[in-house]
Amino acid sequence: MGSMGFAIGLLVVLAAACVVASFVTQGQSAAWYEQAYGGGAARLILLLGLDDAFHSWWFLTLTAFLCGNLLLCNLVRLQPLIRRTRREADPAAALSGPADATAEGIADPLPVFRRLRMPQPCACEIEGKRVLFSGKNRAGLWGPWVCHLGILLLILGFALGQLTHREWTVYGVSGDTKPIGDTGYALSIDDFQVQLREDDTVAQYVARVTLFPQGAAESGRGATVSVNHPAKLFGFKVYQNSTGYAARITVEEGGTPLQTQVVCAGEGIEIADAPGLRVYLNAFYPDFYLHPGRGPMTLSGRMNNPAYLYSVTFQDRMVGMNYWQEAEGPIRVNDYTIAFSEPQSYTLLQVKADRFQGLALLGGLVTMLGLLLAFYLLPARAWAVEQADGRWTVFGQSRKGGALFREAFDGAVKGERS
Amino acid sequence: MSMPLENVLFYGVLGLYFGAMLLYFLFVAVKKEAVGKVALLVQVLGLLLHTVAIVLRGIAAGRLPLTNQYEFASAFSWGLCLVSLLFILRFKFTLLGAFAAPVTFLIIGYAAMQSKEIHELMPALQSNWLGFHVSTAIIAYGAFGVSFVLGIIFLLREKMKASGFLDQHIPSREKLDMLSYRSVSLGLLFLTLTIVTGAIWAERAWGSYWSWDPKETWSLVTWLVYAVYLHLRIRRGWQGKSAAVFAVAGFVCVIFTYIGVNTLLPGVHSYK
Repeated sequence: MGSMGFAIGLLVVLAAACVVASFVTQGQSAAWYEQAYGGGAARLILLLGLDDAFHSWWFLTLTAFLCGNLLLCNLVRLQPLIRRTRREADPAAALSGPADATAEGIADPLPVFRRLRMPQPCACEIEGKRVLFSGKNRAGLWGPWVCHLGILLLILGFALGQLTHREWTVYGVSGDTKPIGDTGYALSIDDFQVQLREDDTVAQYVARVTLFPQGAAESGRGATVSVNHPAKLFGFKVYQNSTGYAARITVEEGGTPLQTQVVCAGEGIEIADAPGLRVYLNAFYPDFYLHPGRGPMTLSGRMNNPAYLYSVTFQDRMVGMNYWQEAEGPIRVNDYTIAFSEPQSYTLLQVKADRFQGLALLGGLVTMLGLLLAFYLLPARAWAVEQADGRWTVFGQSRKGGALFREAFDGAVKGERS
Repeated sequence: MSMPLENVLFYGVLGLYFGAMLLYFLFVAVKKEAVGKVALLVQVLGLLLHTVAIVLRGIAAGRLPLTNQYEFASAFSWGLCLVSLLFILRFKFTLLGAFAAPVTFLIIGYAAMQSKEIHELMPALQSNWLGFHVSTAIIAYGAFGVSFVLGIIFLLREKMKASGFLDQHIPSREKLDMLSYRSVSLGLLFLTLTIVTGAIWAERAWGSYWSWDPKETWSLVTWLVYAVYLHLRIRRGWQGKSAAVFAVAGFVCVIFTYIGVNTLLPGVHSYK
């Protein structure tokens, strides 16, 4: 399991699985797949778990095998790697092993070491011969090992994050205070602005929020949250995630106000006096235009021609749906009059607690370090042995340098032969 | 909004890259060193002008010009031109230009077919991480492009008859293989950086650093493909022809990640 052959097989299978999964739309219902791909293909997709491929048992098993492979590979190779690192700095070991390049008859080997950008060589005597030895970039030997460690940390951080992270969605308009699930904390939306440019495109969504332990609003901590600028409060991270329109619904009966409430698009209220009778705000168009082909749309984000799309249901059955504009006067439903007002944007904030995010980031950075070591610290060593005639034979070795190292070596010894 | 001067410069660059490509072909045909030097000069001039065009667009847009298909394609061809020039100068390998220049020209040609309008950025794209993320992708793609070209040269070299000119201008098979390995190494390092910076940015913008978006998935596929390449080199001694074939196939994956995913698979990187 710790072999490189197994690793290669796993990488190929994982790549193939990712390719297949990328062509199948993820996370849809069985009916959706049947309509999109046809009965047979849909059954196959659902049978193989391709509808949620990256969380399927087989994908998780492959990932677990990859982790096992990386772990075993690193464990098995640790001792040999330590030995190899020591051997790399040992002149006697260099002399007894093969060299990638050799040059004889060198009068002064020191310029060769310099041109090969080797550190100052150390002098020693081996088997009665004077030897100069120098090596560099031994840390490069650890590149693949460090890279594997980084990938392991990355997968571990991601997996632990997926298993333990908690996530909540809080939405509302300025002035709303909402609990954050069962955490004992609440989030107050102090202000929310959609900043528009002159051309009506959105420049930024900015929410000012305060997070506090429930029942202790005075100890709350405030922050400004916008897209790309999340805030960290009490160990939670708050993200500006989405937005939409909200409006106030006011219900009157015989001219007497009955109830009033701000609702977000998609939400509705049940009329207090009439159980089962509900009014919904389906959508809001600040600059309403009924396109002949494409239906209702808004021409801009500005309140030039506001219109509300609403619906009325009784005991969950639709009894009416229409557009409404203030100039039309209130909507009449039985004895009630209904009106919409105060259109505004609501914010949807995502609140997350993921303790292992840092571990995943560390994994990514360690992987980078491993690749840097592996690719840009190429271990190389050179040694020179004094011959009986007083001239030197210079040897060079680089495990990953190949033809380029030999070329550099040839260039370094050029002109030094006497 | 699009900029007239940047437009003029862009088509000037297109012309220079095309000219460099023709001159490199001429260099191979007439086997004159002077023609090779002129081709190299035209390529350098093209790169300099391209840099000016990108900087001008950045100034006009008030941001890094790396956010849509046109801008990325233009930057991709800039990256490929830069990396191929570095390899040409560092390894005295002028003939590489004859193979890299057509790929550079094709990519900038693809850019020419895209809309050059400058649009304001949506909030999710307003991040300093965008610059890190996309510029590392440009270097990565450029390096993979060079490894693709080196793979092609390796495969063609096997079929070419020996001649003094080719022996003088095309490195040995062993050196070609080593150069290809070096460019894959550079590409993989920068692709990893692209993925890491993209994850950091995604976390800040969408609250999730990895969400299996098609672009993310295909970046991972590309990473896995080149990881297989590196492991096969060690494990099975896959060098030479097999490695060259793999480098060519790997770039197909890069191109799909770049163009195929953006146009065929919907996601946050889609420009549909």
